[in-house]
Parts: sequence; C-alpha cells; structure tokens
Amino acid sequence: MTALLTPRLDQNGPIATLQAPDRWQRIELLSDLHLSEATPRTVEAFLHQLRTSQADAFLLLGDVFEVWVGDDAARHTGFEQTMLAAMAAAAGGRWLGFMAGNRDFLVGPEALTRAQAHALPDPLCLAAWGQRWLLTHGDAFCLDDTEYQAFRQQVRAPAWQSNILAQPLAQRIETGRRMRDASEARKAAQVPEHYADVDQAASVALMTTAQATVLIHGHTHRPTSEPWGPAGQRHVLSDWDFDGAQARGDVLELSGAGVHRRPVSPRSSG
Amino acid sequence: MAATQVELQTTAGVIRIELDAEKAPLSAANFIAYVKSGHYDGTIFHRVIKGFMVQGGGMDSAMAQKPTQAAIQNEANNGVKNMKYTLAMARTNAPHSATAQFFINTTDNDFLNFRSESAQGWGYAVFGKVVSGTDVVDKIEGVRTGTRGFHSDVPLEDVVITRAVIVE
Repeated sequence: MTALLTPRLDQNGPIATLQAPDRWQRIELLSDLHLSEATPRTVEAFLHQLRTSQADAFLLLGDVFEVWVGDDAARHTGFEQTMLAAMAAAAGGRWLGFMAGNRDFLVGPEALTRAQAHALPDPLCLAAWGQRWLLTHGDAFCLDDTEYQAFRQQVRAPAWQSNILAQPLAQRIETGRRMRDASEARKAAQVPEHYADVDQAASVALMTTAQATVLIHGHTHRPTSEPWGPAGQRHVLSDWDFDGAQARGDVLELSGAGVHRRPVSPRSSG
Repeated sequence: MAATQVELQTTAGVIRIELDAEKAPLSAANFIAYVKSGHYDGTIFHRVIKGFMVQGGGMDSAMAQKPTQAAIQNEANNGVKNMKYTLAMARTNAPHSATAQFFINTTDNDFLNFRSESAQGWGYAVFGKVVSGTDVVDKIEGVRTGTRGFHSDVPLEDVVITRAVIVE
C-alpha cells in the first residue's frame, strides 16, 4: 500500500472520513474558544498553543469564534481579519481543520482561505494509526433541546444563510454585538445552567456506522472522559476562558498511543 | 435540637422548607440571615424551567436585583445530592459566588452534584428540602414562561414570595 502523503477527506460513505497521512504522529483537538475582541487573553493562549505545540495537525471542533457574521467581516481591518491571519501564522504551515460550531457556522470558504484552514464536515470520522474516532461539535446531538434543534435546522439551511449574508454587513455586525451582550449578561446571571447533553443512543449509532469506538466532542463545556454506550468511550473538550475569573482550557492529543488530555495555560508550552 | 424550618409564603401557595445546618452550615446560616432581614419578601421566582428547577430569591417584580451580602463558600462537597425537592444555592460560574438566590430541584439533577474542585466540577450546594408544599412547587414549575430582556424562562405572571419566615 502506498503511503498517504497528504490528508484525504472521503465524503462518499454515510459519514465523511478524514484519513491522516502516515507522517502525522500527533493530532491536537480543541474547541469552544468563543474568541472575540472581549477575550484577548484567550486569543493569546490559543495562538500560543498553535505556535508551540508539537502536533502535526490541529482539528478545531467548533465555536472557535463567539460569533461570525460573515466572511466579509474579515475583508477590512478588525478582529476577524487579524484573527484569521494570526491563526495561519501561528499554525506555521501545519494542517488546520475547522469544523463549524453553533456560534460560528457562518465561517465560509473565504475566511478559511485567509486562515489557511480546511473545512471539516460535522460529524467526521478521523482515521489515523489504524484507529478511528468520531468527531462532532456536539450541538447536533443535543436532541432533548427540541427548540434548539428546530433553530439549528433553520440556520444551517443554505437559503437561510444566503438571506442573512445578503443583509448589509453593518446590520449583521449589530446583530452580532447584541448576541455578545446577551451572552455576557448570561454569564453574570446566576445559574444553574440547564443544558441538554449529547444523546447517547444517537451518537452511539453513528459511532457504529463510522466503526469508531471513541467519540470526541465539545459544545457542552463540561469536559469529561468516560465510558459511552455498550462498548465505547467519549471525551468532551473543555471550553476556553483565560479572560474571566475561572481560567480553563484544554486540548486532546491523539497519537498512536491513544487520547491524552492536556490542560492549557497561557504560559504553558509544547 | 430540631432542624430549622422556613416558610415561603408565595402567591402560588405555601412552601415549607427544612434546612440542613449539619451538612450545610454556612448555606443554612446565610439563608436564615436573608430570611430574618426580610430580603426574600417581595422577591419572585424569576427563572422556572419545567423538568429542571425553579429559581428565585434575588429579584423583585421589576427584575431588579436586590442588594445582597458577601458571597459564601460553596458547600456542594457535603455529599448531599440535588434530588427532587431539595433546595440549593444558585451562583454564577464562579464556584464560590452564591449570595441570596436559591433554587428548588424539580427532578433528580445528578449533573448539578459536586464532582471535583474545578471550575466545571464544583456543582451546587444543597442545604435543605421541601417538607410540605411540594404541590405548590409543582404548580410553580408548571407556569407559563417567556423572555424578559436578557432573561429567559421568566414566569409570565409573577410568582411572588410575599413573605419568608422562620417557623417557630
């Protein structure tokens, strides 16, 4: 069998598969950074991670950005343009995969080109070192949240997205600002937070189709590593926040040896 | 010495709560202080989510936050679980940020229990339970809710705690 030199994305089967090239020894997964102008420290922690990590590739599993109002936002100077260029520079030529989350699903081909990143379908099966993992942002599987699922179906429809992107940029920026304000207000509010977790039956069924025994996702902001279904495992990524009172963030390192969770700090390296 | 009981007289009926000062001394004492100062009088259940919990004790009918005392240590590591009809301290994402707001679990909320001393693992401190008036809790849980400003799950018709008193 000839060696695979570049990553190959197969979208022929029931689930898209990313086949890692043979030379990749370490793949790093992260998600839920929720970056914006309001999170400079988290931005720096992310770029530092990209720069200093020993990984051959990074798979960003959604909600890198707190909000994304359209790729045209990055055509002029500003947070979006700076971020995309910084991501490309920090990754330094290593492979960057970008899966949309429930906040940044409007990130499109133009933005990905600026970031020198590759679009990843959701869900995605990753095949490397003879192993297979099912990767997803997580929101699509929170089936108990029927209101959200209806919303998701609406906003992921190409027609809806074309309509939104046809709005003047200034209008979309204003909508984005209101969403961020609402998000900030929610953070100051008292919880407990009510959230729907990833539906186990549905995700296990997809893992079976993908022939993957390990599920990796983000979205819920409740990191854990635990048995999942009759014979599987799941790892949930932490969200990142280095600008608030509770510093947190992690990455999952995948290698031939398996999955290793590594907490991130703004000053950590490697 | 018998456990302290508190009566929440609400527009939906009366809820009697028994505090667990043994397992949650700081939270129980904190709650008693707010009761005695009259803080809870006139506050509403401002956040009601069916199948989850009903939360209140912090805002008045205008959704204005009433001033509170200093935050207290999280006592969720006391081994007491967020079972149905238990009373727990609400807080922000910061583990030790609870002041006056509380919630009553309307189901067994395992995911709210303490798991570890990490930002995401601290959980919510249970410091009492409803000993009578569970039907009132059920009634509050069932009210119609909507969005008010940035707040969602707000009862469309106010559920007011007219008076909270220590039961003598």
